[in-house]
Amino acid sequence: MAENVDKKTLALPLVVPRNRWWRDIYKSRWPYLFISPFFLLYAVFGVYPVIFSIYLSFTEWKGLGPIKFVAFKNFALLMKDQLFWLSMKNGVILFFLYVPIMTFLAIVLAVMLNSRRIRGFRFFRTILFLPYIMNIAAASFTFRLLLNQKYGLVNLGLAIFQIPPMPWLESMWGARISLSLLVIWAWLGYNMVIMLAGLQTIPNELTEAAMIDGASPIQAFFYITIPLLRPVILFSVILSTMGSFNLFGEIYNLYNGTAGPMNAALTPIVGIFLQAFANLRMGYASAMAYVYFMFIFVLTILQFRYFGKTED
Amino acid sequence: MLGKNLFRFMGVIVLCAVFLSACGSAPEPAAEPQATNAPADEPSVPTAVPAAEISGKLTIWCWEAAWEDSIAASGMLDAFKAEYPNVEIEAVLYSAPDVYQKLPLALQAGTGGPDIACVESSNLAQFVALGGLADLTEKVQPYKDKMNAYKWADTELEGSIYALPWDSGPVVTYYRRDVFEAAGLPSDPDSVSAALATWDDYFNVCKTIKEKTGADCFSNNKANNSARLYEMVLWQQGLGYYNEKGEVTVDSPENIATLDMLKKFWDANLVSDQLEWTDGWYAEMAALDKPVATLVEAAWMGVFLKSWIAPGTEGKWGVALMPAFKSGQVRTSNDGGSNLVITEQSQNKEAAWALAEFLLGRPESQVALFKTSDFFPSLETTYTDPVFNETDPFFADQAVRKTYIEAVKIIPVGYVYGPYYREMHSFIQTAIQKVATGQMSPEDALKEAADAIRAQTGLP
Repeated sequence: MAENVDKKTLALPLVVPRNRWWRDIYKSRWPYLFISPFFLLYAVFGVYPVIFSIYLSFTEWKGLGPIKFVAFKNFALLMKDQLFWLSMKNGVILFFLYVPIMTFLAIVLAVMLNSRRIRGFRFFRTILFLPYIMNIAAASFTFRLLLNQKYGLVNLGLAIFQIPPMPWLESMWGARISLSLLVIWAWLGYNMVIMLAGLQTIPNELTEAAMIDGASPIQAFFYITIPLLRPVILFSVILSTMGSFNLFGEIYNLYNGTAGPMNAALTPIVGIFLQAFANLRMGYASAMAYVYFMFIFVLTILQFRYFGKTED
Repeated sequence: MLGKNLFRFMGVIVLCAVFLSACGSAPEPAAEPQATNAPADEPSVPTAVPAAEISGKLTIWCWEAAWEDSIAASGMLDAFKAEYPNVEIEAVLYSAPDVYQKLPLALQAGTGGPDIACVESSNLAQFVALGGLADLTEKVQPYKDKMNAYKWADTELEGSIYALPWDSGPVVTYYRRDVFEAAGLPSDPDSVSAALATWDDYFNVCKTIKEKTGADCFSNNKANNSARLYEMVLWQQGLGYYNEKGEVTVDSPENIATLDMLKKFWDANLVSDQLEWTDGWYAEMAALDKPVATLVEAAWMGVFLKSWIAPGTEGKWGVALMPAFKSGQVRTSNDGGSNLVITEQSQNKEAAWALAEFLLGRPESQVALFKTSDFFPSLETTYTDPVFNETDPFFADQAVRKTYIEAVKIIPVGYVYGPYYREMHSFIQTAIQKVATGQMSPEDALKEAADAIRAQTGLP
């Protein structure tokens, strides 16, 4: 009985939409219903904050009390905000400090693991990937202990070779290099796995054919593997680019909630976080977030345009 | 071609996702269990409610040193429970920075927060200005004249009061008797106080110690400087980052002179480079061989030294007065100090106030807390208690608490903390770091910080 009723209501809708677009949606209403929870949650926790923060970027608000509309004041202040531009500069510096090295190491390790000449492929892949799943707070804290200028193991180790103690966390460049080391340590395995997945889509026949034609393994690597791997490398580099501007947990834990010596490790995201949740300036932080978003957006489009050309 | 477009599309999706996850959504405050057994109609009479009639469940956000090691360990919590049998208490312990991260979020959300929270004076004014704390103006009236006068400044906004002061941070000079002896200097507290009459005298004593023993005078990190010592020296002179008219004074001649004075210590290489509250800092105070000679810090430091930083150095420490900035000026300052606040969203404000008043308003509770933890009471009626005359074996049987009382009575009103303290403090930290590492002169660094602070806060 119940089944009949259901079929009836399904088969005889009260209103069939006239518009074709709506009619198509109506036809697949059950699939849409089943995927709707994600979109509803995304609308509440994803889309709504993004739109609300556009509005906030034109206001002054502590997160409580009256919202004061100030038009473009936040953006005008931002243009003169030395800390914001320093954070952008830091993002660029960090990018050059670790992305080339990390990408190169990731490719080399992936090619080595992919060559099948190495025994214990799974073991090494796991070992290399392990830091990525390690809690970043614990890793940062360990780095902080290791890199302590006077008592850290790293400087004590250097002392054996008569090298004077390095100011790892005590100077602007030391801070950036230490941070880069931590990021490489934590993210190398992740990038290596991306490269490895890319390598496994490249048929062995291509390299074999080149070898038969007399190419050395190094030539095969540079003229066959790298070009074919380019989309994957691009993907990984774009993620790392955004990653270097987005660094947060590593810095927050390495420098105990500050942005490092003389703000050497202040990235845009750390800056936005401090303005919003330490200084309680929601409007200004929103303006920062949007200017920063536009910057990353343009940067990514440029990367696609100049490095993403394919031969198809 | 399709593949390329698809890839491009995916890239934009990934980009949006990264962006959104990074800054699109605010972290949600941890859902704390809400009191559900609250009486429906809350009595609104401020006083004279019999203890047994007050009931409800209280959630408290505090940190371990203040709650576990002080309030709970003193037995005062049990005493409260005996007097108020119908009040249930749940303490949620965070680190102090975590309380300051979560509390404003809970106040902004209007839900999910505690009934009572511990807040240091340095962070209090920001939360008072934010809103969401219960107005305690009526309730604190009996205590207005009994607490250290300077403590009220940060609890107040537009004539209303939003917190009950707990402890004060009278600053003294902790010093190692063994180092002073090794340097051939007198090591009894009175002689040391006399030898450290001003910061200039302190500088000369430091030089003698360095020459005779090789020990550093105190720890003050250059590249990650916390600005706390600078703030103590400003407060000592009744200065700060702004004045009573609300004008930014960061680049005033007095502030520049203060930083110039500290710069001398770095330039002469008399200070160790360990950052406060790190393992290296602890190690240098706990060392038996070549420790740092002195530490200018508030009274609450005593308990940390003897309980967990340097328990092995019993009998080697002494407490002298803080050096004055200029001869004849104030020989103390304030650093830190806590308060209890009650949130507006609390369903059990009456019970929350009963607890705050029981712990901080009664001399016998404050004395018990002080005995347990050395958090120096802001409540002045406690100072006549015999506990303040007791000697302490950690400080070679010196009656250090008398020195604290001597200091707390003369703490001037300072303009360091305040509603904009967090951002001002962060700009000043950077300025000091630039000076200490020799990149900028005090004048230029403070001018730069002052410009940035004026632009950010809109203050004149």
